[in-house]
Amino acid sequence: MTTIRHTIRAVAIATVIALAPAAQAFDPSSPAGKYKDPGITDTEIVIGLHAPLSGRLKAFGYDVLYAAKMWYDMINKRGGIWGRKIRVIIADDKCSPTELVGIHKKFVTVDKVFLLHGGSCTHSTVAAQEYVTRNKIPYVMLNASGDAAVIPPTRYVFGAFGGTQRTLGGTIVDFAARALKAKRIAYISHDDEYGAANTAAARFTAKKSGVELIAVEQVSRRIVDVTAPVLKIRAAKPDAIVITTYTGPAALITKKIYELGLRVPIIAAVQAIPNPPSFVKNVGNMKALANFYYGSPLNDLTRGPKQKWVQDMYKKAYPKHNRPTPFMAYGVPSAQAIVYALMMAGPNPTRESFVDAMSHLKFNTGVLAGPIELGENKRDGHNASIFIKFDGKKHSRMSGVYFNKFVGQK
Amino acid sequence: MSAASLRYLGAAAMTLIVSVGMYAGAPIYVLYIANLILTYTVLAIGLDVLLGRAGQFAFAHIAFYGIGIYTTAQITNHTGIPFFVAIIAGAALASAVSVLIAIPATRLRSVYLALATFAFAEAAQWVFNNWDAATSGPNGLRITSAHMFGYVLENDRDAFPAVLILTGLVVIATVLLTHSSLGRNMRAIRDSEHVALASGVRVQRVKIAAFAISAAYAGIAGGLFTLFQSFVHPDSLGFDLIVLVLTMVVIGGLGTLPGVILGVLLLGLMPEVLRNLREWQELIYGLILILAVIFMPRGIWGLVTDRRKSRQVRDVVASPSSGKDAT
Amino acid sequence: MTGSIYALIALSLVIVFKSTEVINFGGGEIVMISAYIAMFFLILFGLPYLVVVPVTALVVFVIGASFDRVVLDRVLGRHRPGQDIMVAMVIATVGLSYVLKGTVRLFSVSDDVRTLPPIFSTDPIFIGDIVLSQQDIAIFLISIMVMMLLFGFFTFTRIGKALRATSENPRAAMLVGIPVRRMRTLVWGIAAALAAVAGVLVSPKLLVSPDMGGIIILAFAAAIIGGFTNVLGVIVGGVVIGVIENLVGLFISSKAIAITPFIVIILVLIARPQGLFGGAVPIKKV
Repeated sequence: MTTIRHTIRAVAIATVIALAPAAQAFDPSSPAGKYKDPGITDTEIVIGLHAPLSGRLKAFGYDVLYAAKMWYDMINKRGGIWGRKIRVIIADDKCSPTELVGIHKKFVTVDKVFLLHGGSCTHSTVAAQEYVTRNKIPYVMLNASGDAAVIPPTRYVFGAFGGTQRTLGGTIVDFAARALKAKRIAYISHDDEYGAANTAAARFTAKKSGVELIAVEQVSRRIVDVTAPVLKIRAAKPDAIVITTYTGPAALITKKIYELGLRVPIIAAVQAIPNPPSFVKNVGNMKALANFYYGSPLNDLTRGPKQKWVQDMYKKAYPKHNRPTPFMAYGVPSAQAIVYALMMAGPNPTRESFVDAMSHLKFNTGVLAGPIELGENKRDGHNASIFIKFDGKKHSRMSGVYFNKFVGQK
Repeated sequence: MSAASLRYLGAAAMTLIVSVGMYAGAPIYVLYIANLILTYTVLAIGLDVLLGRAGQFAFAHIAFYGIGIYTTAQITNHTGIPFFVAIIAGAALASAVSVLIAIPATRLRSVYLALATFAFAEAAQWVFNNWDAATSGPNGLRITSAHMFGYVLENDRDAFPAVLILTGLVVIATVLLTHSSLGRNMRAIRDSEHVALASGVRVQRVKIAAFAISAAYAGIAGGLFTLFQSFVHPDSLGFDLIVLVLTMVVIGGLGTLPGVILGVLLLGLMPEVLRNLREWQELIYGLILILAVIFMPRGIWGLVTDRRKSRQVRDVVASPSSGKDAT
Repeated sequence: MTGSIYALIALSLVIVFKSTEVINFGGGEIVMISAYIAMFFLILFGLPYLVVVPVTALVVFVIGASFDRVVLDRVLGRHRPGQDIMVAMVIATVGLSYVLKGTVRLFSVSDDVRTLPPIFSTDPIFIGDIVLSQQDIAIFLISIMVMMLLFGFFTFTRIGKALRATSENPRAAMLVGIPVRRMRTLVWGIAAALAAVAGVLVSPKLLVSPDMGGIIILAFAAAIIGGFTNVLGVIVGGVVIGVIENLVGLFISSKAIAITPFIVIILVLIARPQGLFGGAVPIKKV
C-alpha cells in the first residue's frame, strides 16, 4: 500500500533530521584546547548584545544599544583589545522576560558568545539571573536598573549602569528635602517592579532625612483618569509632589495637579520626560510647569556641554538616526566597563577572569553624574542623580550631585 | 491496519526519532524552543476542548495557565513535595476556579460569555500582578529547579524528556476524551444546544465539565512551564498570550487534534522565522490573522482534509469498478 | 467627566454590535489611527480643525468600510453561521488591531507620546469642588448629540430600520430586498467615522500613542452597563463607569482602578447581561 511507503519515507526523513543536530556536536572544525571558553579566538571576542528594539519600549533600548555598539566600534578602530576585535551579535528582547532568556540561550548555545550584554527593562533582566548563574556566563546589563538581579548581588550579573530604581526614589526624596526644603512629600509611582523599588527607597530616605511621605499612590501604566489619585494627594496637603511614572501618566498627573489648584513643586523621574517639547504639549499649559523639576543620572542636560562629546560621537556614527532619545548616553557606561574589564583581564581572558576584573572596576564615564563603582559584593554600578529645573522652555541644572544610600535596609 | 492509524503511528515514530536526536545533540536553545512548543501544545489543546469541541466561546484560559504556573512553582519553591503532586495541585486548583466561574458564565449567550471570560482573564492578570504574597507581584517569581525521581532538572535538556512524555500523555488523554461519551456530548452541545437538550444531554453539566477539563489542561501546561523556565512575570500572562493561543487553535483547525498541533508549530515557530523583520512583526502577525480567517475558514487542517477528501472522491470517480471505498 | 469619553468611543462599538452582532476588538485602534491621521493633516498640512475633522472622518470611514468589504464579507461567506463566525470575527478584528498598531509603529512619529491641540479651551472651570473644562463639556454635549442622532437614525429613518432588521434576521431582510451587504459596509463606515471624531476629541485627555487603544476596555464596560444594543444607554454607562473608577480610586486604592472595568463587566454580565437599558436578551434559534 502506498501509505506504508509514505510512512517509511517520512520516518527515514525524520531520522536524517534527527541525526543532523547530533552531528553538530561532533563538529571537528571547532578547535579544542586553546581557549577554555567559547566566543573568543585569536582575533575576536564575540558579545551578545540585546535591548528592546521594537514595540512600546523601543525608546528605552534602541539608541542605547547603538550607543554601546558605537563604543565597541571605536575601540575596534583603535586596534581592539589585546589585538582582538569585538564582534557584536544584536537581538531584540522586546523587554519580555521569556524573550530575553530565549535570546540568552540562543546567544550562548547557538551563537557561542563570550559574554552577554543587554537589557533595558528590569523585570526582563531579572529573569536572566538563574540561567547565567547556573551556566557561569557573565551578564552585563545595558541600561536596565535590574534592582532585583543586582541586590542582593550574585557573581555573574552586573547592572544598574544608569542607576537602580532605588537610586531614583532615594535621590528624588533627598533632593526634595534638602534643595526644596519640603517636609511633607506626596509620592506617586506605578504598580510595577519599578514602583515597588523606588517607593521603598523613597520611604527609607524620607525617614533618614526627617521628612514625611504623606501620600503614596500607585497607578497602572495604562491609567487614563488620574482624578482620584491626585485628589487624594491634594487632600493630604503636600509641600512637594514626586512623580516617578512614565511620560503619559506623568503629563496627565502634572496637568491634573494644576487643574486642581495645587501649586507646590513637582519633581519627576527622568522616564517621565523622554521628549520635553512633547511633554509640554501633553501637559497643555506651561503654567503647570512653573515649579517643575526632574532628575537624571547623566552629568548634564542632554544638550549640555558635558554631554556634547557623546552626542557628537553618536551623530557621527549613525547619521541616519535623528534625534536620539535622552537615554542614548546610558548605553556607553556598560560598554566602557566591559572594555576596561577585558583589558584588565589580560591577553588571555576567560569568563572567570573577566568577572573578576569587572568586580574591581571604579571609573568615571564622562556621561554619568557619578562614577561606576563595582565590587566583590556590589553589582549595582551607578548610584547618583542630578536635578534639572524645567519651565517648559528652558532646562537649568540645579547644583549638586545626589547619591543614594538605600540598598535593602528596611 | 487502517491508513489513518498507520499515519498516526508514523507521526508518533517520527516525533520519537526527532526527539531522541534533539535530546542527544541539539543546542540548548533548540531544546528550549521545543519545550516551549510542547507547553503551548498542551495549552492550545486545552482551549480547543472548550472552544472547538464543546463550542463554548470562553477566553479565560490564560488565567488558569497562570494559576497552574504559580501554584506549581510555589509548591516546588517552598516545600519538598514532589513535582507530580505539585503539578496535579496546580491543575486541580485551576479546575476548581474554572468551575466557580463556569456556573454563572454558562448562562450567558456566546458573545457575552466571550466578553465576561475575557474580562476574567484580564482581572486575573491584575491579581497576579498585585497579590504580592502569593505571586511576588510585579517583581516576578523565581522558580527553582524541579526534582524528579531523585534527579534535579537543571536545564532544558534535562527537562525535555519529562515535558515530552507529559505532553504525549495529554495527547493520548485527548484522543480518549474524543471517543468517550463525554466527548460526544460536548460535540452535540457545540452543534446545537437545543437539540442536545432535547435528546437528553445534561447540557449544564457537560458545559461545566468542559470548563473544568479545559482548565486542567491549562493548569498542567503551567506545571510544564515550571520544569524548564526559572522565572515568571505577570506581564507575560495577558492579552497577547490569549490572542496567541486562540489563533494557534483557530488557524490550526478548531476541534481537530492534528490541526491544533499544526497551529502551535506554525505560530510558535513564526517569531523565529520573523526574527529579522523586527518592526514588521506586529503588522505581519495581524495580516496573517486576517488572511488565515479569510482563506482558511477551518484552519490549515481543514485545508489538508479538504484536499484529501477531494482526492478520495476523484479516486472513486476515476475507477468506478473498484467497488470498495478508497481508504 | 472622562465618562463621556468612554461613551463616545462605546457608541462606535454599539452600532456595530447592534447591526451585525460583531464585537469589534479593533475599535480602540481605529480611534488611535484616527488621532494619528488627524495629526498628519494638522501638522503636515497645517489645515484648521474645521477641515481636519471631516477629512479624517472620511478617511477612516473608508478604512472601516473597506475592512468590512474586503475582510468581513469574505469571512461571513465562508464560515458556518453561529459559533464559527463569532470566533472568526474576533480574530479578524484582533488582526485589524495588530495591523493598525503595527503600521503606526513603523513611523517614528509614534515613538513619543503626543497630543492633539485641543479644539476647545482646557482652562479649568470650577463648579463647587468639581473641575471641568470647556473641552469636557464639549465632549459631553457632543456625545449626547451624536447619541440622539444615532437613536433617531436607527428608529426613524428607512436605512436605520433596515439595519436593525438586518441584524435581527439577515435572511428575512434579504428576502425583503434589503441590500444586506451594503448595509453592513455602511455601518462599519459610520462606526469608524464615529471613532474618528471620538479620537480627535479625546486625544488631549488620553494622549496619543500606539497603545492608546487600550481604552477600549472602558468603552466595553460603558457599553455593557448601558446595554450593548442601546444607543442611549451608552452615555449613562460611560458616566457610571467613570464615576465608579474614581470612587474605587478614592476609597479603595489607586492600584485597584486598573481592575475596575473588568470586575464591572463580569458583575454586570452575570447579574444583568442586558445592562441597564438593553431589551430582554433575545433567544437565537440555533
